[in-house]
Amino acid sequence: MTTGATLRIAGGVVYDPANGIDGEVRDICIADGRIVTDLPAGTPSLDVRGMVVMPGGVDIHSHVASSSCNHARRLLPEQHAADPVPAPRLAGGHMGRSGTGGTVPSTFATGYRYAGLGYTTVFDAAIAPLTARHTHHEMSDTPCIDAGCFVLMGNDDYLLRLIDAGERHRARDYAAWLLGATGGYAIKVVNPGGVEAWKTPQRNLTGLDEPLGSSRVTARGILETLTDAANTLKLPHAVHIHANNLGMPGNVATTLESFQALEGRRAHFTHLQFHAYGTGGGWKSAARELSDWVNTHPELSVDVGQVMFGPATTVTADGPVEYLLYKSSGRKWVNIDVELETGCGIVPLEYKEKAAVSALQWSIGLELFLLAKDPWRVVLSTDHPNGGSFLAYPQLIQLLMDRTVRDERLKLVNQKFLAGSALLDGLDRQFTLGEIAIITRAGPARLLGLRHKGHLGAGADADVTVYSRQDDIAAMFASPRYVLKQGELVVEEGHLRLAPNGRRLYVRPAYDDAVVPGVRAHFDRYSTVQFDHYPVQGLPNGPLGID
Amino acid sequence: MTDQRRVGITCLGCGLLCDDVTVAVSGGGVSAMSPPCALGSAWLGSGAVTDRIRHAGNDVTFEAAITAATSLLTGSRGRLLVFLGPGLTIEALKPAVAIADRLQASTDTATSAAAASGILAGQRRGRAAATLGELKNRADFVLFWGADPARTHPRLIERLVDAKGTHTPAGRASRTVVSVRIGTDGAVNGADDSIQLAAAQELAALSILRSIVAGGANPATDKTLAGLPELAARLMAARYVAIVAGGEDGDPSRPSQRAEGLVALAQALNTPARAALFTLRGGDNQNGVESLLTWQTGYPFAVEFRSGVPVYHADRRALGDAGSVDSALLVGDWRAIPSASLNAIASLPKVIVGPSASEAPGTTRVSIDTGRAGIHEGGTAYRLDDIPLPLAAALDGPRTAAMVLGALEEAVSRSLREVAA
Repeated sequence: MTTGATLRIAGGVVYDPANGIDGEVRDICIADGRIVTDLPAGTPSLDVRGMVVMPGGVDIHSHVASSSCNHARRLLPEQHAADPVPAPRLAGGHMGRSGTGGTVPSTFATGYRYAGLGYTTVFDAAIAPLTARHTHHEMSDTPCIDAGCFVLMGNDDYLLRLIDAGERHRARDYAAWLLGATGGYAIKVVNPGGVEAWKTPQRNLTGLDEPLGSSRVTARGILETLTDAANTLKLPHAVHIHANNLGMPGNVATTLESFQALEGRRAHFTHLQFHAYGTGGGWKSAARELSDWVNTHPELSVDVGQVMFGPATTVTADGPVEYLLYKSSGRKWVNIDVELETGCGIVPLEYKEKAAVSALQWSIGLELFLLAKDPWRVVLSTDHPNGGSFLAYPQLIQLLMDRTVRDERLKLVNQKFLAGSALLDGLDRQFTLGEIAIITRAGPARLLGLRHKGHLGAGADADVTVYSRQDDIAAMFASPRYVLKQGELVVEEGHLRLAPNGRRLYVRPAYDDAVVPGVRAHFDRYSTVQFDHYPVQGLPNGPLGID
Repeated sequence: MTDQRRVGITCLGCGLLCDDVTVAVSGGGVSAMSPPCALGSAWLGSGAVTDRIRHAGNDVTFEAAITAATSLLTGSRGRLLVFLGPGLTIEALKPAVAIADRLQASTDTATSAAAASGILAGQRRGRAAATLGELKNRADFVLFWGADPARTHPRLIERLVDAKGTHTPAGRASRTVVSVRIGTDGAVNGADDSIQLAAAQELAALSILRSIVAGGANPATDKTLAGLPELAARLMAARYVAIVAGGEDGDPSRPSQRAEGLVALAQALNTPARAALFTLRGGDNQNGVESLLTWQTGYPFAVEFRSGVPVYHADRRALGDAGSVDSALLVGDWRAIPSASLNAIASLPKVIVGPSASEAPGTTRVSIDTGRAGIHEGGTAYRLDDIPLPLAAALDGPRTAAMVLGALEEAVSRSLREVAA
């Protein structure tokens, strides 16, 4: 970061919804990496008259820096060979690093490509605590973005024991300890109880109240415990939930039951599209039912997990789902069970317009966006790389902003399962630039509790993206004219100029020390890693404060 | 000097990376370790290392060595081999790979032929795997396949088979252990049952087992394989099967396709039961090298940067193509590199950074001695199941490889900028 640098971004059309600015011509002033209210005359300026100015993008749910991602990278040499990424030539004669792309790019390429889209903050949505050290190594090699991670807890052996024993307050302290030990940002739940069941003859949980093995633990108990933990600890982000029965026909029943279980409590449900399949047999959309609930429950937020046509790689801790995908697709498959904590499944696949289920998934995602009454709580994501690459965000934005493009595409997809889809009813909504700014930066930043992100008010991080207006919305969002990170010009005219290291976003919540001896004893009995070797150390910056 | 104990040392003597090791230090060297382990003791050695910095046969300053090394390496841009040798921390490997990238080098690693075939099989089919603790906690059936852990991973039986776990409360008594011995490979003592196969029967045996597990008929015509259906039935009746296989070079008559057969069997077993293949890779952070290369380049080994982008040459390892390079950068512990590999680059002008680099044979232009990872140098290393663990420095030593390679990378980058300006 260039200390003391000042810059006026002059004359652009600013979209800063967090501060109520919706397309006003304004100057954005930057000093020392932050937004300031004004600067003296004569300050260096960047003339962006006629261009669109937004805060840097914030990705609330992606998979970019984890041991699971690395297993996926290893699985896909053919994709890497087809998408080599030369080292960028940076300002001052510096060279960046080469890499490879595909659905799971190498780390340097990931950072460059996110910056190239105007995204400056990214969260990896699922890391196994035992491999947190790996995640932080990868993040150190992922430039241009501030990054954080969500820590998998919904199948943690010790946590399940505490729940079984009715010690939910201690479970909260354990969750706090685990976040601190791993350098994590939020509590993540994947298929609560189902991943543990996958490791046993039970193989999965089918509903919220099915007991896990012979214990009293249920998915409902896990959801309640970790939701309350996140809220009692006042974590900046709510518990981040990948509900049970992902990808199953009829799973809307489970999703709604999960919503109901947590009604009135702050919670975030992720990649809702994968949980929005109607009941009554066969494949059908249940987007309306879910949108109705989300629209009327302000305590709830979601990201969509849009499917985009093309290659994807499913990477998830939801091992039983990946096993079923492997059996049904016949594609190559990775399963890795991680001791005492979680699992990992990987299957590469391709979403095709002419495939009926792919088309339904694509349609449901768009319905969820278009039916949302409060865009602040319905965030853009593709669950990269599960529903498609983050590189597809510009095409997705175009589908939301341009009904003509959307309707033309709709004609091309397989209609077999689209009966009842709101899309076929002629949803005519077109997102405005202000709404796009909400679902791609202001909204996720607010939901993540990142006060210095997602807006351009005084004191915010000077992460700014400037787009040249184009009729082709996808082209406009695919290649920002300028991207500034902490006040530094990182991307100019589509070229990467700088590749600074980003900051690490993590929390270290307080907890009652009385939880530690029990954790240590559990480690000593069942882990294969020494307790003192478990916590990560030496993170590049301090934790974010918790109010 | 007072005798001291260093606890919580992580051993790189094999791929298990036991991180509960206590080392007794006396007179500045290692006098004992516990728990006792032959490979661990061999890895620790006495703790003594040389501390010299040399250029063209003379002792020089660190700065002079970096300057000379930079000159040699940048002069070979596009025709350089970077050998990412054994015994480096992730922190040291990062600048080493950066140098290879910036100088458009070919790279190679100590990844053995057997290990490479396992990686390639995984890239073709995927894999079903688990971390060590998962097997300790859950495996009620352990099938050793061509494995000789007493020789290659001495504490495996203690840490996996005998250990009590969440679902294996009686430890060894909670498990059935079957040892399949292949050819002249070693086997496991104390197994409940043992099966001897000729090396030539291995692929057929794996195929039969997989076929039966997948619900097919027994295709065996070889009467000496008549016991396999019963083994398949026992595997399918288990709750969680651990298939433990040797992962490094062993019997040279072993077919290279065995890795694919093992992967396929482990995957197939996940329908009637749960199962994981646990491959016994070697130590010295070999998994760490491959993990780092994967996240930085997309490929786990045999990465070439000559064209300005990472290219995967799994079938044409750089060491076997040493004639196409002008010089080499060898990082890590050269003494742990197979002599055939060392011989391949013996005549190349070289920069060596690592423990006792100054004593390496062959044409060494610049050598910078460092401490040894996990003994003199802290950092991160990966267990054979890709779990990253911290390394602590038990002893004082010379400069760290991470520091040296960081300085070298900086000098190389500066030199390239000056050339480009």
